[in-house]
Amino acid sequence: MVGSRSAKRTVIVGNPAGLHARPSAAIAQAVRRFKSKVQIRSRNEVVDAGSILELLTLGAQQGSDLVLTAKGPDAEQVLDAVVEELSKRYE
Amino acid sequence: MLQRMEMVNGKLTQAEDGTGSVYVYVSPDKQERKHLVEALKLDEHTLASALDPDELARLEFEPEHTAVIFKRPRNYSSDDRFVFKVASTGLFLFADKLIIVLGDNVPLFQGKQFAKVSSLQEIMLKMIYSSIFHFVEHLKVINAVSDSLEEQINTSMQNKYLLNLFSLEKSLVYYLNGLNSNAKLIERLRNNAAKIGISGESLEFVDDMLIENSQCYEQAEIYSNILASMMDARVSIVSNNLNWLMKTLTIITIAIMLPTLVVSVFSMNVEFPGRTHPLMFWIIVGFALSSVVLVRLVWWLKKW
Repeated sequence: MVGSRSAKRTVIVGNPAGLHARPSAAIAQAVRRFKSKVQIRSRNEVVDAGSILELLTLGAQQGSDLVLTAKGPDAEQVLDAVVEELSKRYE
Repeated sequence: MLQRMEMVNGKLTQAEDGTGSVYVYVSPDKQERKHLVEALKLDEHTLASALDPDELARLEFEPEHTAVIFKRPRNYSSDDRFVFKVASTGLFLFADKLIIVLGDNVPLFQGKQFAKVSSLQEIMLKMIYSSIFHFVEHLKVINAVSDSLEEQINTSMQNKYLLNLFSLEKSLVYYLNGLNSNAKLIERLRNNAAKIGISGESLEFVDDMLIENSQCYEQAEIYSNILASMMDARVSIVSNNLNWLMKTLTIITIAIMLPTLVVSVFSMNVEFPGRTHPLMFWIIVGFALSSVVLVRLVWWLKKW
């Protein structure tokens, strides 16, 4: 389909406290700025990255592999934004 | 776990073994605790308080050091099930060193406020300030979670979203308690500034902290009041959603029941007029379907 793309990345959670409340909120907020839908897979669990409720139940610890999949017209850009949020250090 | 830091050109950097002026003890083990109590003369009870999430924030003066226990939000984990908890942190300020004791491994000294530090007192104040900032950030998250839960409740018939909202309400009570406790601590720090060695700009910073903490407390109080006051309305929405489902199921049941009645009447093992009529089967089906239309018509006219 014209205008619909997909992108995939794998990142490792670097924050010592894992994917906790503030990074989850920041990711959900970042995803909502784009049109593409993003899913995050950690172990066997897949969640919608635009939903803070689902992200908070993911329980990704430091060192966990996260597989990010985006589908939509701005798939690459939304993954760039999610990776940037994941690379931030939170106290 | 012990981490040593030192101030170099106004910045905090990792120090080599045996040096450093800032010591960070994360979940100190038995041996480390023994060292802190025996060698550095930390009060055993105050040290335990630094690791106890239920302890209140406080300021204590010992012969060789000042002990500060303050509250900070604990990082959320998925096991917490929407309960945002509060943890304690202990700061033990000596003339030549600052000992920080905390229960969980969180990155300290992040953010622009630690880009330039000039004294141990300043590090101590900035750590308390960063906990206020941390509370503010978590309040934003709680608000975002609460908004998402509200969206779910509008179409839900389950209790789990309501229970999650109750958890958020409980979290806000923990936060209010922690922020209130920190306010008392900051006031005591201001009143005892000279004794601790806080003066000039640092004293103004303490005043700013008091204002920031008070604003954060008010924000938490507003969120808590909104959550509490809207809870009854949300319970009603879930109940109403369930009523709508029951109504739809009732319509379906009645719509099925009437054609069943029609067909049952014609299934009786007795003689009835037109039994041998070649189109009798379709007449009975017609009656059955008409009964469905009739139910729908009555439902529509009565605006049920």
